[in-house]
Amino acid sequence: MPSLAADSMNQDSNPDTEIRALLQELWQRHLPSTQERLDLVKSAVEAASAGHLEEAVRAEAQAAAHKLAGNLGMFGHKEAGEVASEIEYILKTYTPTSVPSLVTFEQQLHQLLASYL
Amino acid sequence: MRQILIIDDEDDIREVASLSLEATAGWKILTASSGSQGIEMAIEHQPDAILMDVMMPGVDGPTTFREMQKLPSIAHIPVLLLTAKVQGVDKRRFADLGVAAVLFKPFDPLTLADQIVEALQWSTDSSAINHSNSESSSALK
Repeated sequence: MPSLAADSMNQDSNPDTEIRALLQELWQRHLPSTQERLDLVKSAVEAASAGHLEEAVRAEAQAAAHKLAGNLGMFGHKEAGEVASEIEYILKTYTPTSVPSLVTFEQQLHQLLASYL
Repeated sequence: MRQILIIDDEDDIREVASLSLEATAGWKILTASSGSQGIEMAIEHQPDAILMDVMMPGVDGPTTFREMQKLPSIAHIPVLLLTAKVQGVDKRRFADLGVAAVLFKPFDPLTLADQIVEALQWSTDSSAINHSNSESSSALK
């Protein structure tokens, strides 16, 4: 794997600033997979709202939410990661009565990340 | 220079952790995308520590750790499990496995190396690694 950090550290500047800049590059590079995970969650929420959330879709969305919960905070999107964690939990323990909460959290997640996608 | 093996199926986690540990600690980083690949790399490269995700498709982190413990050539290498925030009962379950520590995702890339140093009680000015299970497991107590 190319040593992004080593290249960066050759520059005479604040290491924290350099790391943050490199993290931003990684965020941009991984945007497609992040967007894919968000789309999976959105599809599941839409299906739940329509009253026909299939088990395979629920499980896939739960896994996507789990990954978002683990990754977003790493890139500085801590609040979005916590919302993703809430979505993961709701999908894990899903019942039709949890649809309103699911919709609310999905909208919140979208709003938090809208300007970064 | 210390060498760390990162085992995680997610590309972005591997890349951010690598970036973090290279840039903040100057460690050499090896990466593997599965438990089986990680075991092969651990045998070949003998890293000073292994940072491994718990949830991976196929063979998960705890299962990989148990396999590592059966292999004398790598059983001494301290393993830190990386997982999403867990309940206390899960942390005790991981502790019972004998791993050196459990670190939580999302981690802060600016402090991940500090967490590892603290968990493994590594001195900050020496490349000598303490492989004592009794000492390294204190992070879980």
